[in-house]
Amino acid sequence: MASTATLRKPVSGFRISRKMLPYVLSLPALLVCIGILIPFITAVIYSFQRYRLSQPWARQFNWGENYLNFFTDPAFWNTLKVSLLYAGITVTLELLLGLGIALLLQRRSTVNNFISIMLLLPLMIAPALAALMWKLMTNPSFGILSYLASLIGLHDFRWASSPSTALLTVVLVDIWVYTPFIMILLLAGLRSLPTQPFEAAALDGVPRTFVFFRITLPMLTPYILTATLFRLLDSIQQFDIIYAMTQGGPGNTLTVFQVEAYLNFFQSTNVGRSAALMVILWAITYFLSNIFIKNWLRLRERARGEA
Amino acid sequence: METTSTLEKTLRLIALTLVVVFFMFPIFWIFLMSFQTNETILAIPPSVIFTPTLSNYAALITGKLTTAAGTLDIAFMRNLMNSIFLSVTSVAIALVLGVPAAYAFARHKFKGSEDIAFTLLSFRFAPPLLVLLPLTQYFQWLGLSDTYFGLIWVYQLICLPLILWIVRGYFEDISADVEYAYRIAGHSWFATFRKIALPLAGPGIAAAGLLAFIFAWNNFVFALVLASADKQPVTVGALAFVTSSGIQYGQIASAIVLSVTPTLALALYAQRYLVEGLSLGAVKG
Amino acid sequence: MTTLQLKNIVKRYKTNTVLDNLSLDVADGETLVLFGPSGAGKTVLLRLVAGVIDPDEGQILIGGEDVLDIDAEHRGIGMAFQNFALFPHMSAFDNIASPLTATNATKEAISAGVHKVAKLLKIDHVLSHHPKALSNGQKQRTALARALAGSPPLLLLDDPLRNVDAKLRFEMRLELPRLLAAQGATVVYVTQDYKEAMALGDRIAVMSQGRIRQIGTPQDIYNEPADIEIARLFGDPTINLLDVTPKSGPEGVYVELSNVKVALPGMPAGVAGQTCVIGLRPEAIAFTNAGAPGAIPVKVEAETPLNEKTVTLVLTARGREILVSRPAGTPGPLSGPAHIAVNGQAAFLFDKESGGLIRSAATPMTRNGEAA
Repeated sequence: MASTATLRKPVSGFRISRKMLPYVLSLPALLVCIGILIPFITAVIYSFQRYRLSQPWARQFNWGENYLNFFTDPAFWNTLKVSLLYAGITVTLELLLGLGIALLLQRRSTVNNFISIMLLLPLMIAPALAALMWKLMTNPSFGILSYLASLIGLHDFRWASSPSTALLTVVLVDIWVYTPFIMILLLAGLRSLPTQPFEAAALDGVPRTFVFFRITLPMLTPYILTATLFRLLDSIQQFDIIYAMTQGGPGNTLTVFQVEAYLNFFQSTNVGRSAALMVILWAITYFLSNIFIKNWLRLRERARGEA
Repeated sequence: METTSTLEKTLRLIALTLVVVFFMFPIFWIFLMSFQTNETILAIPPSVIFTPTLSNYAALITGKLTTAAGTLDIAFMRNLMNSIFLSVTSVAIALVLGVPAAYAFARHKFKGSEDIAFTLLSFRFAPPLLVLLPLTQYFQWLGLSDTYFGLIWVYQLICLPLILWIVRGYFEDISADVEYAYRIAGHSWFATFRKIALPLAGPGIAAAGLLAFIFAWNNFVFALVLASADKQPVTVGALAFVTSSGIQYGQIASAIVLSVTPTLALALYAQRYLVEGLSLGAVKG
Repeated sequence: MTTLQLKNIVKRYKTNTVLDNLSLDVADGETLVLFGPSGAGKTVLLRLVAGVIDPDEGQILIGGEDVLDIDAEHRGIGMAFQNFALFPHMSAFDNIASPLTATNATKEAISAGVHKVAKLLKIDHVLSHHPKALSNGQKQRTALARALAGSPPLLLLDDPLRNVDAKLRFEMRLELPRLLAAQGATVVYVTQDYKEAMALGDRIAVMSQGRIRQIGTPQDIYNEPADIEIARLFGDPTINLLDVTPKSGPEGVYVELSNVKVALPGMPAGVAGQTCVIGLRPEAIAFTNAGAPGAIPVKVEAETPLNEKTVTLVLTARGREILVSRPAGTPGPLSGPAHIAVNGQAAFLFDKESGGLIRSAATPMTRNGEAA
């Protein structure tokens, strides 16, 4: 039977109060990550310095000079142009292709589910290794794609080694790796849409193009936005595929931000310029990620609500 | 919707076939190449009919490549072991650090918790080279440049945000009442965490761990910048491989096959959770 | 057994005050029902007592001891949740055993304890099942068994019958008082169902918007509702509420319904001319003949036979809806014109503006609605 004994007090003297508990739990993870802030600050400082590894004695603050120099630096404008072009082309094509494939696979069936799982495989391959795979396939002497190109009359098609087709080739690899990402997100989105509006439209005999543009697309918009921004954030910083495929070449055809910064640091040993490039890229991604996180949060709340 | 014409069905079928061919062919082709000798690879026209050989794999696994010019050492197995060690350790540490933090963020809305969670998330989107380049110098000063420790630490940048945000979602899905019920029944917060929260979020934690493993494994730029030659994972190692002289194309292909098999196998195993993981918990599959 | 005291409790979420300076005493061994609409703060109150959330201000004393510094697991409380909150990965046995495994009890003692309470709640045959395999009723009983298993001196039951079907709720309403009495615990019971409140509570605290509006025995609340809202909540079918302006005549205070005078005996003359609301429980109205004194002409709209009574909806000449109740089996008009008579003795009068009670029924009613 119930007793009137006094309440059980905690035995040990050590007791984490309820207010402290969350801090105690998250502190280790935070400490590990805080270390990252130090090189981040260092990078910002470097970007305001004249700093070449080859001339360490000449290291000094030159304030905005690295940034100001960019205005008259054709290499910088090339970097900006190639980065935006690369991100723009890959994300647009991947979005169109991903949406198309998602629509093809929308109906739940064993075959469709199997295909959608298979299509995820390229996404799970390390982008650097994917680039290597395509390098083997586009090798001028034995690459299967070079052979296929010659069959349709494109003899001596140089793929990534020619300035005119290098961008096309890396874009192709990017599409191969990342289209599944957009596809799988949009497919999940499509399959989570309520069915009533579509049934009603079908009953009323509404034309299907109308249904697609007036019902499907608007309802899918949060998914499209999240997937696109997610990809845009990654694509504007693409490094793995481009570096593994061409190391930014031929010439400076593919010197996107991260590749250019990498080469500046390790080849030209121009730390200041490299850091300034990275800070600019960081500013771009910070701006994009703020938009992204808003959309992403909305989607996340929706997913949690359904659970 | 049901009135699909034969023409439309055919078009859909053709489109799907093209899609499957485009995305599957490279994997299939490299797989075939890995069983071919240089002679069959270089044959024109290329053919899918050939006598398969395991010599490429044998050379990689023994680490010795015998050519007419002599014997060549291949460090590929070492790269593979590095990949395994780096990924497993990084994920293990990220789980130990990230799961309690995810629990704190999910259950206790404390002051600044959202800001911290978003800061961690933003690491996922910051350009890695921004911190990696200065880090090379710090690593030299700290004596970390030739260690696994330093690499595992920066790998937390990949693993922690992923685990934190996915696992947090799973903890949030557990009804708070269920945990309250266990506490009120007389159990400490730690017992409640261990006996209620952890088992119920178990599948999510496992999935997040698998995904973090895949992303750690697939990482290239961190190791390219920071890893010394004998600490390199397969992503960096395979690239160096291409440029080393005397290597045969079939061996590159079989190295690629060996390098991607673990992630592909895990991806197939965890495919139910991939959508959620890839969107950092924003979309449920 | 123990006592529970809440002193000036304030709980806010952001700018929203959920509990507003609330004080409450629960006596040793008493069953106190917290009754009120959802959002009144009942569940928050239970959680504060259980110790899973902290109040912003105020004191909570269990057995006279301040418990704010004591963690939930040390407060000696058993709690059942509205959504059951069973541990989905544990069998019913392990669910029920959870308060016992927290103690140093031996395996045998735990097993004996679980079986005892499971037998009491008639779920001893499903102890090996996981919650997923349990019916809703079995889940509810498992949740209750878990709350009882540790023989806690203080039991908090958060609307435990909310999510079970009507038949089960009826059964449990009969069973629970016996169970709780056998437990000998002090009980705080939350519900939104006035019948449950009436059947289980030694006292009822009526809550709304974070405050206790009235506290008293079930009879007190039924017979002297503090305001219109409480009168409306307690009683089934709902009390009839009509705007009236009492007048004063030689025979005393009266109101006019469809130009028929209804005397309100014992009413102070001061209310004459004041805008009021008259509260007439359906039991206080009866059908009568056209010529009878005080007969009010109405039109019968619809009839609902309930188990023990029949409820008729009628319309007055001005189109006001009135519910009339009579014992089942007694004759009454089915449709068309009819007449009703109002028992002025049994009328409540409320102030229109404040909603406060001006006069309670002179003839108290029992819970069943018959005049005592």
